[in-house]
Amino acid sequence: MINQLFGNYLVKAGLLSKDQLEQAFDTQKKVRVKLGLIAVTEKLMTLEQSEEVNRLQAQMDKRFGDIAVEKGYLTDDQVSRLLGLQGNQYLTFAQAVTDNGFMTLRQFEAAFLDYQKSLEFTSTDMEDLKSGDSDRIVPLFLPSDCDEMQKEHIMVAVRTIIRLVDSDAYIGRASWVSSVETKGVAFQCMSGAVDMALGIAGEEAGFLSMGEAFAHEEFEKVNLDLLDAVAEFINCVNGMFATGISNKMFVDMVPPTFKDETVTVSGGRLLQLPVYISGNRINLLSAYDGKMSI
Amino acid sequence: MSRILIVDDSRTSRKILRSILENAGHDIVGEAMDGQDGVNKYKELRPDIVTLDITMPVLDGLGALKLIKEIDTESKVIMVTAAGQQNKMIDAIKLGAAEFVTKPFEPDEITKMVSKLSE
Repeated sequence: MINQLFGNYLVKAGLLSKDQLEQAFDTQKKVRVKLGLIAVTEKLMTLEQSEEVNRLQAQMDKRFGDIAVEKGYLTDDQVSRLLGLQGNQYLTFAQAVTDNGFMTLRQFEAAFLDYQKSLEFTSTDMEDLKSGDSDRIVPLFLPSDCDEMQKEHIMVAVRTIIRLVDSDAYIGRASWVSSVETKGVAFQCMSGAVDMALGIAGEEAGFLSMGEAFAHEEFEKVNLDLLDAVAEFINCVNGMFATGISNKMFVDMVPPTFKDETVTVSGGRLLQLPVYISGNRINLLSAYDGKMSI
Repeated sequence: MSRILIVDDSRTSRKILRSILENAGHDIVGEAMDGQDGVNKYKELRPDIVTLDITMPVLDGLGALKLIKEIDTESKVIMVTAAGQQNKMIDAIKLGAAEFVTKPFEPDEITKMVSKLSE
């Protein structure tokens, strides 16, 4: 998710073109991140030290990590930890952008600091973002007064989108809303100690991307068949969420509702989270302590 | 090969189940969109196996299971559930459900289950 989020920021900031971003994503699928790049981005070595080890490596039959340990720049434990980060999405993206010559590592890191400022995130938040772990990333984009149960519900939904719909899906910042007007919606309510609901609203392209990927079927437009697929996805998410919280409380699910016309959705403390599937936006709606209705 | 009736209010679920079961060589003799429709089709078609979604409008899966068992105590019914419905699964066992399958569907799990029930 971080490659999509930061990549789009770089395009908006004029530091990468859209074509370069697509090329970087393609490269990213093939790259193996160099240990030196990881050590620099993790602030364990300076860029100069990394370049020195690279020069020495060219002259010796030794691995980067062994030389860095010999020079006293890294410990064996640090090398092990860095090796474990080689598949990290932020780092593979950094490697892809710099390998293509679109930016230097220094420019990439400077842009990441600007990105942090634009988000008003702390350094810890940025570490969560760089982790690539959706369970650490999603809470960063939710309001601080979001209930833990509602937060967990949304995290299950995003995790399931990434697993079943689009592994490159990414999110925007969530906001509280009193109601949402939308052309087409699918949602399912759950009743229990607290009434909750999950819904999906949004734009035609987003609905099509979501429904087609989940149902493995092509749809020409947003219609009841497509929304049935979206509703079925919501049903799966709610089932997994209910299992996860079953030791805390029991929730009962009612059949999902879906409409292919313009409606206004409201209910409970209603949170709207933008989710981008194949680059197209849908709005994840989460109602807590109230029934969702149209 | 078994003759199977699929009962589910979701068109998407019916379509995915049909595809999995037909690919495994089974014959889908009918589909129903709610529990009452399922009971009626069971009477009419007498399938070897029924897949029955739990959460459905008009008559839910548990209500339909009870009526199908009243029609035929030997009926083989696979309950289809979203995860998180353990209490309803217990009720379904008491009513005589043969197996359970959880959404999202895992084709291997379903085909093995149906093969076992077909023996």
